[in-house]
Amino acid sequence: MHALKNAIGIYLLSFGVLNSAYAILPIEKLDSYNGAKAYLVQTKALPMVDIEVSIDAGDRYDPVGKSGLADMTAALMNYGVRGSEGPLNEAQIADEIADLGANIGLSVSGERATLRIRSLSRKDLRDRAVNLAAAMLSAPTYDPKIVDREKQRTITNLLEAETKPEYVLERRFMKSVYGNYPLANSPTAKSVAAVNSADLKQFHKQFYRGDRMIVSIVGDVDRAQANDIVRALLQKVPESGSAIAKLPELQRSPIEPLAQREIQIPFDSQQAHIAMGMTAVTRNNPDYYPLLVGNYVLGGGGFASRLMAEVREERGLAYSVFSYFAPGKDTGIFQAGLQTKGDQAVLALEVMSSTIAKFIADGPTPTELIAAKSNLINGYPLRIDNNRKLLDNVSSIAWNDLPLDTMDVWTKQVEAVTLEQVNKAFQKYLAMDRMQIVVLGAKK
Amino acid sequence: MRSNLLRISFLLFICTPLAWAAGADSVDTHEYRLANGLKLIVREDHRAPTVAHMVWYRAGSMDEVNGKTGVAHVLEHMMFKGTQKVKSGEFSRLVAAVGGRENAFTSRDYTAYFQQVEKSKLDEVIQLEADRMSNLNFDDAEFLKEIQVIMEERRLRTEDNPSSLLNEALMATAYMSSPYRHPVIGWMNDLQNMKAVDARDWYRSWYAPNNATVVISGDVDPKQVLKTVEKYYGAVDAHELPVRKPQIEPPQKGIKQVQVKAPADSAQLTMSWKVPRLEPGKLDDVEPYALELLTAVLDGYDNARLNRTLVKQEKVVNDVGVGYDMISRGPELFLISTTMAKGKPVAQAQASIRKALDELKQKGILESELKRIKVRILSEQIYKRDSIFGQAMEIGGTEMAGFSWKDIDYMLEKMQTITPDQVQAVARKYLVDEGLTIAILDPQARQSVANKESK
Repeated sequence: MHALKNAIGIYLLSFGVLNSAYAILPIEKLDSYNGAKAYLVQTKALPMVDIEVSIDAGDRYDPVGKSGLADMTAALMNYGVRGSEGPLNEAQIADEIADLGANIGLSVSGERATLRIRSLSRKDLRDRAVNLAAAMLSAPTYDPKIVDREKQRTITNLLEAETKPEYVLERRFMKSVYGNYPLANSPTAKSVAAVNSADLKQFHKQFYRGDRMIVSIVGDVDRAQANDIVRALLQKVPESGSAIAKLPELQRSPIEPLAQREIQIPFDSQQAHIAMGMTAVTRNNPDYYPLLVGNYVLGGGGFASRLMAEVREERGLAYSVFSYFAPGKDTGIFQAGLQTKGDQAVLALEVMSSTIAKFIADGPTPTELIAAKSNLINGYPLRIDNNRKLLDNVSSIAWNDLPLDTMDVWTKQVEAVTLEQVNKAFQKYLAMDRMQIVVLGAKK
Repeated sequence: MRSNLLRISFLLFICTPLAWAAGADSVDTHEYRLANGLKLIVREDHRAPTVAHMVWYRAGSMDEVNGKTGVAHVLEHMMFKGTQKVKSGEFSRLVAAVGGRENAFTSRDYTAYFQQVEKSKLDEVIQLEADRMSNLNFDDAEFLKEIQVIMEERRLRTEDNPSSLLNEALMATAYMSSPYRHPVIGWMNDLQNMKAVDARDWYRSWYAPNNATVVISGDVDPKQVLKTVEKYYGAVDAHELPVRKPQIEPPQKGIKQVQVKAPADSAQLTMSWKVPRLEPGKLDDVEPYALELLTAVLDGYDNARLNRTLVKQEKVVNDVGVGYDMISRGPELFLISTTMAKGKPVAQAQASIRKALDELKQKGILESELKRIKVRILSEQIYKRDSIFGQAMEIGGTEMAGFSWKDIDYMLEKMQTITPDQVQAVARKYLVDEGLTIAILDPQARQSVANKESK
């Protein structure tokens, strides 16, 4: 077992050869179409294809008083469309997807709406799945009866969520950390009730257009087939449209006295839930890599992280404790969190705060830095070893305007990170006197 | 075997064979048995230079005894707390150093541990995993801290989660004698009274090569893997396992009902029926396959029967889900779970479910409904191959239930032969009140509310 203890040293030596050990599949830039950029990674081993359309139509575009509109615009696209061969109702759409053995998924994050297709790559099946998605992207009907039904379901889900500690915590934390930025406003029963069919049509018309879309394709199709897919998907989508008001700048979390930054929410759950965080960086920030490596040490590296060691391993205070950066095309946030028995909340928050404070002040030790880089570099193949993960990568690269060789140079970027860079980056972007804190369900 | 399956799929999609039918599957999965009884299954998949390494122990919460519920899961946590050679916490640090992802999970039927690594690191994780098969050595202080963590896990997943509380009550009501009546994480009072010695006893009883299956999938040479596995796992001695009592659940003789009051906004209703599972050696039993297909006919896609009628047409429930798994070590339930739509009483949802089932029992299902489900099952067989880890999971889960990985494709072929009449027949035979257990969540207002925040 002695050999195992020297493992770190051995694998550091192997950094250099890792990249040449196997080829990383290239991202091909496809023809732009109708204002949309498109990208392809060809993988031939399985007879299937994954297609994603990202639309710059995320929650941050929700109008004041109608939070939830962006979500519903995407979620209701498969509940009725005007297809190329006439109207299709929700039942016909669902049956067609099932008959094709395909999956079509719709989701919305703060920044973007996403439509994903997974289909067998056989042309006839693939074409039908693409045509269906094309109709959703260009001509959803938003039948008022279905809109009413889905609004009611959404409201019921929201009222249920409001009884759950994790949801109440997260919603309040978003309000604190996003300040005057639109993502501060989560959907409520009232804001969802205010949305109607005309709003959905208007939002769709305004945002779902070629110049706000990016297509990413991974799987068993060649370049010509991929270009055909992009054209079929976006044929009926308008290239552009009326001007969209610029979003306000996300203001950096301000320096405030603790009493201003810390919110206590009474809640009769057994566990207290704690969130702490502040505004941070964009994904294309050059400091992304030092922050990634540093956060592995702080709270991203599972059992190897300091937060896990201090909160769980040393003191048995929580099952889950973590920290992460969520960078996007625009500035994202840093967030740390845990859950603990109500009467341990004060202690757990103290341990979490002091662990983060110490890390910002002193950074990682040389040994920790080596361990973090060793994990990230040696583990990189696990981030790209199937079609689904490749699609996640291509989509992120395209959305965040990263260089197309990002996957090729990723391990080199990590390898180049120095202790000094990590220290500087953490001190530049994070500060304890700016951290927004929400504590729910603490018992004295 | 996979080529057979694909041939069926051509018939369903169109009648022309395709290029991607080529490539037999049986050659790339290999099975070995070591002298100490350990079973090794290697699935070759050379698409990417990574590998998943799993060890599955056939010891889960169903093997626990009263007063010590949760001990299988407690031991899973303690397995990271050091051996004679690797000190506490070091296991995870070493796996992390080679870039690995790792975790473990416990179910009613088994406990499993895994690492995913770049292929050149496989030997290191095999060495580590084999070491803790027989050399686990944690101290009492580690146990006392970790049992606190596990109680936090129970608070997080169960105590503060009304759906989990409802499910716990349902299982404890549906089963009188089967150990499936106990939650995997254990009852809180059992956790409070758990001792380090309970975990050590569990380890000494069940952790042995003759109770373990190692599954390795990915970019590997099976002969090389066998050598490494023999070197490390082969060094572990076999020992006799405790006797497993059958603990067969007596037949249910009428409706059971349980109510749970917990903080929530919507009421929930779960109806569950005792149904058969697939038994090892009886792969041609029609009923379990028909029940699997019935699950999908009711809930397999957005326009499936229950979602269409209950959620979209009658608007009586907000969500509906149907659950059944034909392979497991213990008894099986066929579950229909719903959350009420705003203002709709539980009784109305129950009446609507019964009406939908009665219609199916009387009029049967359409050939087109079943065909749709079968197409999905076939396409999922392609999609699942995208994940190396998913393939190892499927092989391990099947083996733990007492089947061979070789049975997987046979089961899928068998599924394609099931007729609408056979699906109707299992609905008629099993979805009846004699074997029904009903669980209802009665939502309670929270005593404190979120708008009372303070700075």
